[in-house]
Parts: sequence; C-alpha cells; structure tokens
Amino acid sequence: MTEAPVVAEVAAASQAPVEAAPVEVPWRHRHLLDLDVLTWPDIERVLVTADAMTEVLARPIAKVPALRGISVTILFYEASTRTRVSFEVAAKNLSADVVNIAAASSSVTKGESLVDTVRTIEALGARMLVMRHDRSGAPYLAAEVFGGSVLNGGDGWHAHPTQGLLDLYTMRAHLPGGSVAGRKVVILGDILHSRVARSNVWSLTAAGADLWLCGPSTLLRGFEAWAARGAAAGRRFQVTSDVDAALRDADVVMALRIQRERMTGGLLPSLREYAARYGLTRERLALARPEAIVMHPGPMNEGVEIAPDVATDPRSVITDQVTNGVAIRMALLYLLAGTLPGRHEPGGAAGR
Amino acid sequence: MTATRPPVALAGGLERGAVVAELDIGGAWLVDPASGRSGPGDVVVRDGIVTAVAWLEGEEAAGIDDRGVIVAPGFIDIHAHLREPGDEDSETVASGLAAAAHGGYTTVCTMANTDPALDEPAVLARIRDAATASGSPVALLAHGAVSAGRAGEQLAALGELADAGVVGFSDDGAPVRPALLRNALAYAGTLGLPILEHAEDPTLTTGAEANEGYVATVLGLRGWPVAGEAAAVSAAIAVLADVVADVPTARLHVTHVSTGAAIERIRAARAAGLPVSCDVTPHHLAMTDEWVAGARRWAWEAVDGDGDRDPWADRALVAPPFDPACRVNPPLRRPTDAAACRAALRDGLAIAIATDHAPHHEVKKAVEFGLAATGIDGLETALGVTLAMVDAGELTLARAIEALTVGPASFLGLRLGRRVGLLEGEPADLVVFDRRASWRVDGDSLASRSRNTPLLGRELPGVVLATIAGGRLAYAAPDEG
Repeated sequence: MTEAPVVAEVAAASQAPVEAAPVEVPWRHRHLLDLDVLTWPDIERVLVTADAMTEVLARPIAKVPALRGISVTILFYEASTRTRVSFEVAAKNLSADVVNIAAASSSVTKGESLVDTVRTIEALGARMLVMRHDRSGAPYLAAEVFGGSVLNGGDGWHAHPTQGLLDLYTMRAHLPGGSVAGRKVVILGDILHSRVARSNVWSLTAAGADLWLCGPSTLLRGFEAWAARGAAAGRRFQVTSDVDAALRDADVVMALRIQRERMTGGLLPSLREYAARYGLTRERLALARPEAIVMHPGPMNEGVEIAPDVATDPRSVITDQVTNGVAIRMALLYLLAGTLPGRHEPGGAAGR
Repeated sequence: MTATRPPVALAGGLERGAVVAELDIGGAWLVDPASGRSGPGDVVVRDGIVTAVAWLEGEEAAGIDDRGVIVAPGFIDIHAHLREPGDEDSETVASGLAAAAHGGYTTVCTMANTDPALDEPAVLARIRDAATASGSPVALLAHGAVSAGRAGEQLAALGELADAGVVGFSDDGAPVRPALLRNALAYAGTLGLPILEHAEDPTLTTGAEANEGYVATVLGLRGWPVAGEAAAVSAAIAVLADVVADVPTARLHVTHVSTGAAIERIRAARAAGLPVSCDVTPHHLAMTDEWVAGARRWAWEAVDGDGDRDPWADRALVAPPFDPACRVNPPLRRPTDAAACRAALRDGLAIAIATDHAPHHEVKKAVEFGLAATGIDGLETALGVTLAMVDAGELTLARAIEALTVGPASFLGLRLGRRVGLLEGEPADLVVFDRRASWRVDGDSLASRSRNTPLLGRELPGVVLATIAGGRLAYAAPDEG
C-alpha cells in the first residue's frame, strides 16, 4: 500500500505534459544503452539538441567543431549500412575522428572476446564507442570495461535507442501540433525480434502516444505480459493481431522488416501469407486517418511488409527518418561527449 | 553450566582435517531433524565422537533462542559440480570441498558432467583420489552419467559404476531423451539407484537465454518457457509409470525444479503412487528473473496480489542488467514460480535444497549474456539464502535444516554410509553457525575458485563457525583476534 504513491509518481513522470517547455536539466548519462533510464526531460533535451543539429545540417557546410580531437570508434558485429553510415556522418559533422571496425560475430571459443576488443579500442585512443551486436545486452558489457562513452547502435532484440528517438523526432516533425501525445501510433510486423519496437515502447509511451503493437501472435510473444505490467507503471500500449483494429484511425503507421529466417523457425507459414494478412497496402492504409504518416526503420522488403506504392506515397516519411537519424545521433554524440572527463557540460552555465 | 550463556568453546588451534579431540558447545540452540527436536542444549565431542547431547531445560535454558548459535547435523548436497577432471580452472575437488566446508556441508555429491564424463569407474577413482589428496574430511559422493560421454546415445557403464559406489545417475546439464530415460530408469532401478533428471524439453528451449515472460521480453532475451520444464517432467513421469510396472524399484528424481507447473505434475504423480521426488535450489527459491534486469530483491519481497511485481515500476533496478552471473539453467523464474518452489519445500514435496553449485572461471562468464556459461555457485551461500527465507517467515528453521540434512539423506539412503542427526556415540558430523552474525560475499570470503554468483557484495545472514565431518575439522571460522 505504501508503494502506491511511488507508482503514481512514476506514472506521472512518464506522462509528463508534452507541451511544456523543455526543462534545461544537466545531462548526466555517460552512456546511451537503452531508453528505459531516460526521463521525459532527458528525451526533450535530446530532441531540442537535435533541432539545433538539424539547423547545422541545413548549412552549406554542415560541420561544427564540437567533437574536434575526440576519437569515435564504430564497432559493428552485425552487417549494417544505414545505421553505421548515419553514425559516421554524424560524428564527422561534429569533427570527430572516426574509426570504423566491422567485426566478425563474437565467439567465446574462437577469436577475441568482446571485453578484450573493447579494451584494445580504448588503448588505441577511442573516447566514444558506438557498437552494434547480435546479442542483447552486449553494450552493457562493453560499458563496464570502457572508460569513455558507449552508444548502443542496436543490440540483439533488445534496444536501438537512437532509432527510438529519431522515430519520435520524425513523428513530432510531421504531426500537427508537433506532439505525439494522444496520437495513435501503430507498429506493425515482427515485434518479437525487433529492438526498434522495444525502444519505441519506451520513447512513445514516455511521450504519451496511444501505441499499438500489431503482428501475428507468434511474433508478439511476451508483449501481452509487458503491456499488462507496463500499464500499471504508466507505460500504456495495446497488443493485437487484428490489423484492421490496429490501423483504424491511426495517425502513424510504422512497418517492420520481416526476415526470411522467421519462416524456417516455424513462426510464419510464408512471406506470401504475411504480405496478404499483414502487409501495409494502400487498401489497409485507407483505414488510417487521411493525413496519417508512414514509417519504416529500414531496410525494407517492398512487397512483403510494405507495398512499393505505400513506401513512396507522399505520406511516407521514410527518407526523413534517415535524415533525422543523423541529427539525433549528432545530438547524442554531443551530449554524451559532455560527460567525458575534461569536457565541459554542454548547455551548462557557460552557455546561458 | 550456568544460566548465562557460556561461550562456545571451539576447537581453537586445531588444524583442518585433524580429529576434533575436544569440543564443548555450551548453551547453543540445537536442531536435530532426525529426532524432530529443537531447543537449547550442549554438545560435547571427544576424539571425534559425540559423547554427549544434553537438552537444557528450565533456568539452564533461559536466554537461549534460535536466533543465536545453532548446532545442526552437517549439511548434505545431492547436486554440485566440482569440475574435476577437465575444468580445474573453475573448481577442483579440493577447492570445491573447501567451499562445501565453509558452507556447512559435510557431504557433497558431485555431478557427472566432468571432462571426461564420469561414465566409467576410472573417472570416479580419479575424483576420489583427488578428494583423498585434498585432506578434506568432507565426504565426496558421486553421480555417474546416464549415457556414455553424456552424449545421450548409449547407456554409460551403469552396473560397473554402481559397483564402484556411485549414488545415482544423471546427465545433468542436459536432459535424457525419453527413449533412453526409459531404459536408464529400468536398468538403474534393478541396481537400486535413482535417475536424477534435468527436466528440459530441448525443442522448446533452443537458444534460450532467460525465463520467457515479462523480463525477457523487455530485455529482448530469447525465452526459456515454463512449458520446456513442464513437458519434460510430464514425459519423464509417463515413462516412469511404464517402467515401474516391470521394475518396481525404478526411481526418478527431478533435480532443480524451477516452475510451479512442473511441481504440480510431480505432486500429481506422487499422489498416484509413483516413485518420483524432486529438489529445489537456493537460487530458484530466492531469486527471480528480475535479477537479470538488475533487481536484487528476494523473491518474496514486494509482490502484489497476483504474486508478481514490476522492477521498472518499483524502481528496483539497482545493478546493471544482463549480469552473466544471473544466467543459469533452468533460468531464474517469476516470483510465482519461486513461491511454488518454496511451497513445495515447506510441504515436503521437494525433499531437499540442492545447490547445483556451478563454478565457472571468469573467462566463461565475462562475455555477452547469451554466450555466458550457465550456472551459479551455491555451496557457500546456500545457508545464508536459506536463512534469509527463514528470517522472512517463508520457512521454519527446523524445516530448513531438515531440507539440508535428513531430506537429502533420505534420498541417498544406505549409500550415504552413515546416520544423520545429533547422535551420541557416533562420529561428530555437524555444523555450528551464528544466526546473529552476517558476512559479506566477496572474493576474500569465498573458498571456491569461482566467484560466480550475483550475491557478490551482499551481506548474508548466518556465519559458519565450525564444520565437523566424520569427527574431523572441515572448517573453522578465523579467530576474530
């Protein structure tokens, strides 16, 4: 019983008034591993900083010296073009020195352990480490041994925090009023294996969105339990396999990639059946609000989870997501760099 | 003896391994599950033999309660991994027995998943030689493998291993497929030995990293569903029912049961008269899957009306998530499953607390969560975790001691080779611990080679003052100076 006020307080914090002016709080996170530890003011801080970065990106020479002399290593254990290049461009726009490492998938029995790799990278002078890994939780292990900042570029099924923030940023840019509070946001597809969906749960529930996760029941496993527990803590979202109910009157529809290995695992009968029952087609999109926006974190399987004409529809903001990704990543690199020893707090007293 | 509590006169200056020539424990709280009696008393040991167990009454007993110095029969662990031969970087027989003595254990049954596997008598002889060489008086018993090389194909040398003195058979670490389990139950049954089954349906747990449910969903970890254990237990019980028709002495023991669903199936099978038993581990009793997320609350703390809780909403996340020390098989479960394990322990369906002591060298744990070796150390922390349950009113002290002594002894039967209890005229086999004191689990306090526990840094209740095995000193707490 004594716990109740605390729970209510947490709920209140996560349902903070979105329209309120952002509070200038000191940025205290050295790493960005997941969104669960960010408060709403923290998220606002990132979005406001991203606005400034968007202005930088609009300049003829989109480059500022904020990270001059800082070595950023981008360590990817999984193939990626979009996210890796986005981080690289973001770091270079801030004048950081960038080192790219494409690592073979980690193995306990052969090759170097993740811990040794991270220590080596630090010994080579890296102050910031952007990493992607196929195992959930791997960046936490890296953060334990790395002396600088670790930025999670996606870990297993667990988290893709920069994606969660850039998706929120993109929605705010396109929704009337610049707010997602109360807006119906549908994430459609393979929720079970999606770190994008998980990170969006944290960012969108914090922003007060009416969030719906939709897909075949085999690809929603465990999310009913999360929705049931999360509601008590003010993180409300719906879980359904009824695609029509999910899309009806939606303001935002985000389709997720369906991977071929889901078929061999017996989770889906066929891509054809998935496309027929859950693919985001023009007909299905007609259930959403006329001004609804369409999103996809990429890479797309056009004709499977999203019809080609929907991907290129004027309501699609998929290329904006890519551009905004650079701004969000610049903002995060900038904020995290401020926590490095010997760096000034960005936006601190000196800036006012 | 006076009415005020006299100090416990321990065997100061005695060397470990030496016969306890003279020991007087005055005015302690004795717990003797063999006789079902608990109360104030004195214990006198001379030349390794218990010469007197005196129960105090009236004025002599005044001021002595069950919150101070406790004397109980030495603990018996029917499930530990001592890693020798094959993985001596993680643990050796010597370090494992030292850990056992520090934890109050006087008998340890080591599992067969060594390298090479304990699937024929020569490996057993090697392990016994190591125990002898260690000088530890802690009795080392062993389970033989069910299958040759634990490969799950052919039966191991069950008869030869039985002749050599193994106390049971298990491929623990991996389940035995039903067709082989059927043969093993029958064959071992004629030898008078049980099969200890690691209940896991591997078709439901491929790649599993953590208990399937809320926590694994949030953390994006591959789920180990309750059905994986329940289905395996159902299949094993069905096989057992077939086997006992032909071999009435066949016996199935499901080790490290972790789910309410499996417990209900075992309960129903026992009610139907089948010879099936089970044990539970300290970690499945007291820890839950939220520990993987970074919570460190005991399983019974802060649960809601549904017996569940949300560490994110409760702000209970005090450690980083994905600590590989929390990776264990079967995984840490939900609070409701832990509660079912404690209920089974209370009502006797679970006959023993078994540690599943699983030492691992740091290099096998300091890796990505899903790649980390599974298992948690238990020999040195089992008493503290059990006392935490007692302190919380989850278990009586008497039942706790029973589950650490006569419970596992009943599983071993004559193969234990001795009687269990506070018994005059028998070699002293007992543990003395102070419930009022606590200790910090850390690298300096642990005798095991391994530091593989999420309890590192935590204060646990109950300091073992002395462990005496077979009349010889196995462990004595360092003098406070």
